[in-house]
Amino acid sequence: MNTRAQLVCAWCAIAFAVIFTIGLWPLAGMMPPIAPSLTEAELADFYASNTLSIRFGVLVMMSSIGLMLPLVAVIAVQMKRIEGEHSVLTYGQISSGSLNALIFVVATTCWTVAAFRPDRDPQLVMLLNDFGWIVFLMTFTTFITQNFCIGFCVLSDKREEPIFPRWFGFYNFWVAVSFIPGGLLTFFKTGPFAWNGLFVWWIPFLMFFGWYIVTFVMVRKAVIRQSEESDGLAATA
Amino acid sequence: MSSTTKLSPAAESHLPGEAGVWMFIIGDMLMFSLLFSVFVYYRADDVALFASSQQALNQTYGLFNTILMLTSSWFVALAIHAQRHQLAHLTTRFLIGAVLCGLGFIVVKVFEYGEKFAADLTIVTNDFFMYYYLLTGIHLLHVVIGIIVLLYLCTVSRGPELSQGDVNMLESGASFWHMVDMLWIVLFALLYLMR
Repeated sequence: MNTRAQLVCAWCAIAFAVIFTIGLWPLAGMMPPIAPSLTEAELADFYASNTLSIRFGVLVMMSSIGLMLPLVAVIAVQMKRIEGEHSVLTYGQISSGSLNALIFVVATTCWTVAAFRPDRDPQLVMLLNDFGWIVFLMTFTTFITQNFCIGFCVLSDKREEPIFPRWFGFYNFWVAVSFIPGGLLTFFKTGPFAWNGLFVWWIPFLMFFGWYIVTFVMVRKAVIRQSEESDGLAATA
Repeated sequence: MSSTTKLSPAAESHLPGEAGVWMFIIGDMLMFSLLFSVFVYYRADDVALFASSQQALNQTYGLFNTILMLTSSWFVALAIHAQRHQLAHLTTRFLIGAVLCGLGFIVVKVFEYGEKFAADLTIVTNDFFMYYYLLTGIHLLHVVIGIIVLLYLCTVSRGPELSQGDVNMLESGASFWHMVDMLWIVLFALLYLMR
């Protein structure tokens, strides 16, 4: 049994959530997000006067993204126990969960490029900033694929004592639904559906990091129970 | 017949469907409550604009859709009732009735959106129409998902013998559809009727 490795992978979820938030919030100062309604001059000034903190904060954010992947792996191991040999939802979860990390890499790269030469033409700074935020918040599709794969897998568990509680499956559907309004940011520069608004930023932000905490707790429990079960089997054998 | 003895525990205190689905339903309703609150909040900012834009909505379409939604909910309730009385063949038919009402709802919405587009009223026209398209659009997405759920329930209910899991599935799906119905009632009142 590789209980320890699985638990380390589960803890990566918490490490990711904490480090990413530290990079985003106190370091880069992107919390609340840079408003999409800023003018070119205001935006260029934001990047010019906070260059170092943005560079450093985004570096921290980018460094934490690799920690998303071990969680994907350990979720997959537990899903595979439910699905057995033909584990199509597990593969769906691995591919979508891995792509999520790439989305975050692209977003943080855009902000880094913007802060790399803040003396650029303000229009170009705006282009990069827009690009970063839109990649970051509008691309809900792979995230909800991951949630739906996990949700359907959890609900398909026919065990007497399921590996994940059934409510965790429905919880994943709910989280997925809360990400969908992100797609609407393309229409707005102000209000609750702009990228710094209630339905595109605040709710998805809380749901996203809440999901990391809930998933960590669920996966950790499943791993510990799996190790207890295999210990029990070894004892009776 | 054992049906009466089977019914009595259900009548006492019975959560329809499984507990987990209620987590989703309550979570989703929470999300819609926020959407509704935001709508009312922004409406208070510019009551005149919202009131005048509301005039452009076609209340007949809205009312017709309300009737379709209520009827489909009634069909779903009948389907569950039939299943509890061991009339599974009727369950499937009632569910198909609910699906047809749901499809009718979508058709009416397509006509309604078409009429708005023809009058050059789009999501960027003003705040009222922004909320009109967003709220009805997100709801329409729920209708589409709900129809897929109901179609799935049709296949479940056609099985020769329903297991407890199948019954749970039926009740969970029915509860979701009732939520979609209830949200439309609130939407209809907020968008079409509120003065």
